[in-house]
Amino acid sequence: MILAGGRILDTDRQEELLDTLEDRINRTREQGELSPQTVIEAADRLGTLIAEGAFDSFLEDWKLEGAEHYKNQIIQALDRKSLTYRWERELGSGSWIPQREQPPFENPTEIVTRVMPLGTLLHIAAGNVDGLPAFSVAEGLLTGNVNLLKLPQADHGLSIEILRRWIEIEPRLADYLYVFDTPSSDVVTLKRLADMADGIVVWGGEAAVSAVRRFAPTGARLIEWGHKLGFVYLSGYTDKERELTGLANHIQSTRQLLCSSCQTIFIDTEEEEEAAAFCREFLPYLEASARRYASQDLSVTAEVTLRRYSQELEKALSDEAVPTGRVFQGDGGSLTLLPDEELELSPMFGNCLVKRLPHRRLFQQLRRHKGCLQTAGLICLAEKRAELTELLARSGVVRIMHPGDMSAGFCGEAHDGEYPLRRYTRIVHTQISREP
Amino acid sequence: MSYRTQLFRTENPYDLPSTEALFFRAMKENCIFHYEHCGEYRKILDSRGFSPADMNGYEGLCRLPFLPTLLFKKHELYSLPSRRMLIQATSSGTSGMASRIGFETSGLWCGLQMVLKIIRRRRLLSPRPAHYMILGYQPSKGNETAVTKTAFGATLFAPALSRTYALRKKDGQYKADLEGVLEAIVKRSRTSSPVRFMGFPSYTYFLLRLMEQRGVRVTCAPGSKIMLGGGWKQFYVEQVDKRELYSMAADRLGIGEEDIVEFYGAVEHPILYCDCIHHHFHVPVYSRVIIRDVHSLEPVKNGTPGLVNLLTPMVKATPILSVMTDDLGVLHEGGECGCGNPSPYLEILGRIGLRDIKTCAAGAAEILKGVGL
Repeated sequence: MILAGGRILDTDRQEELLDTLEDRINRTREQGELSPQTVIEAADRLGTLIAEGAFDSFLEDWKLEGAEHYKNQIIQALDRKSLTYRWERELGSGSWIPQREQPPFENPTEIVTRVMPLGTLLHIAAGNVDGLPAFSVAEGLLTGNVNLLKLPQADHGLSIEILRRWIEIEPRLADYLYVFDTPSSDVVTLKRLADMADGIVVWGGEAAVSAVRRFAPTGARLIEWGHKLGFVYLSGYTDKERELTGLANHIQSTRQLLCSSCQTIFIDTEEEEEAAAFCREFLPYLEASARRYASQDLSVTAEVTLRRYSQELEKALSDEAVPTGRVFQGDGGSLTLLPDEELELSPMFGNCLVKRLPHRRLFQQLRRHKGCLQTAGLICLAEKRAELTELLARSGVVRIMHPGDMSAGFCGEAHDGEYPLRRYTRIVHTQISREP
Repeated sequence: MSYRTQLFRTENPYDLPSTEALFFRAMKENCIFHYEHCGEYRKILDSRGFSPADMNGYEGLCRLPFLPTLLFKKHELYSLPSRRMLIQATSSGTSGMASRIGFETSGLWCGLQMVLKIIRRRRLLSPRPAHYMILGYQPSKGNETAVTKTAFGATLFAPALSRTYALRKKDGQYKADLEGVLEAIVKRSRTSSPVRFMGFPSYTYFLLRLMEQRGVRVTCAPGSKIMLGGGWKQFYVEQVDKRELYSMAADRLGIGEEDIVEFYGAVEHPILYCDCIHHHFHVPVYSRVIIRDVHSLEPVKNGTPGLVNLLTPMVKATPILSVMTDDLGVLHEGGECGCGNPSPYLEILGRIGLRDIKTCAAGAAEILKGVGL
């Protein structure tokens, strides 16, 4: 399925469309612009439709866990207030209109500075969050770009349906949106699309990113949203009960599937027995949360069980001498105490890694994983909080949160340390007068 | 004669009770073979503390460690050198990942005997030549998917006068051509030869819907059949009730429900499950089904839903003797069916989301990985 000019076309017509696509895009960009107000108004109305249940059948079909929460997040993200706030936060509050300015020093020129779209964006979206492709495109539209979207294979049709309805609300969006279901293996088509783009937005892991780097034309801006690993640093407690409950709930409710989810818990100690004592103490919290967040859905439960089993077999097949560690097995979760100090992906689904990492080695250890840093949950004595926060921030972490809120989002939040809208735009200066 | 050969020579393909001992011996023989010839399989069994020598009795088969189909998508596991494998087949890999399974000559020979016995019971074997409409892939070099191979195999059940494919290779890519199939149907239905349809249920449904839209209605010659196989994957949004498909087939093609046959199988469990006249998949003697609890993975009683674990000693090239599918299902007592076949039957309830839910932290990289992009 292809979405082009607001119409759904059969995949068969891809070649025909690609042959004329560059001309179409050029005409669109040559002739006009898409104002952020137009996009925001339409997004707000789309949010209302979602709130009224226009997409509920999709959510029901997939038995999405936490569907209601997810739906509310989408509605909030599309809200006029939140989009306006984001624009001002990310691009500057005066950036709606061109700014006339007189730069200091002897430069006797008046300059108009304005924010303009980067041009044409190709989005290569991952399928790990349903509807994520539509989000990526929404940011591209908000900044006035023409958007080419390559759908992930596991998209379920939600993204294309959201975008189609959005165009229905605001037909002016039609010329700014082309969706393709080209498989990732069709490199020829992907390269043709990439050649038309000023920027390529890629969501995914290392393999996806390096693949895109290989075919991206020189000069195209690469906007990479890679995978990250979340962790907790623990150095004493401020409110033990609340902190351990919060962390356990975070681990079980996200199933450790998100970039911000805790994979490894680092304990500020050299003593193995101290770390083991933590495992014994924390395990009951993890078990209680497992019961609280147990899925009622047979297929979700089956998946979690089967994944755990597969991971055990994978471990058996692995040739590397994996340190086995001490496993503290609970019902619905486990903690594995390992002797090394690396930030590492856990087996997920309630199975967390625990490692010792004295704070004097914290910085240098985190630097070894600089590409993966994003969220840290910090549990510590109140008097140590400022110092440890500073250390984490300097090491490259961009979100330092309380353990229960590691995956919580908020309006105006940067994405992996960057404001996305800035990456989807360019700044244009126009000289308007000269010294008489 | 090996126990496997004896098992596949069993006269009645649905006489489970009298083949229990033989099935167990064939499984043990197969397990020992893989344990000795496939290093990875040995590692897995060792890690589970299971030794093939300890296998004692049919009832204990549920303790044999099972391999999830996901494992075959990530690892190529072989117990024979590739020169001893007659073919290698892959799953359709809708998510971009495919299992790769090897088959040796002797295993395929067992498979052939199985197929002949099973399709004969469903009256699919016929000397009368027929036109075939394959609502699936045209075989081609480079396409090693099992669905393509079996769809082609099904065109040998009766001599083929012609074969028309819905998915044809053009300029190196598969393109759907339902229009072409539609034309062929109209043309072939005017002859006195039967027309046999073979392919994905979803494509069959699309075709019938297209006929409705166009107002096309034909009456295929007596002896015409519709064979469905390959699952509903990729099109579950369009999933239709089987009843609706049957009534559309009767209305548009003049083919009654009794002539519609559905197959169930997987490249990781190449046993032909063929439905009975009540459209139930009774377990044949070459296979056993263990439904497992979604929490504990322990076997459950008949009638309880769970994960579908399939066992067969058919293949020596790849250790697929006990595989865990991504399917949720229920095993029913044979007597509940009413068709007269006493063997229990397997009802597939759906597929778990294993390939759809990708983890952010672990990397959705597989989308692009594995295709050499």
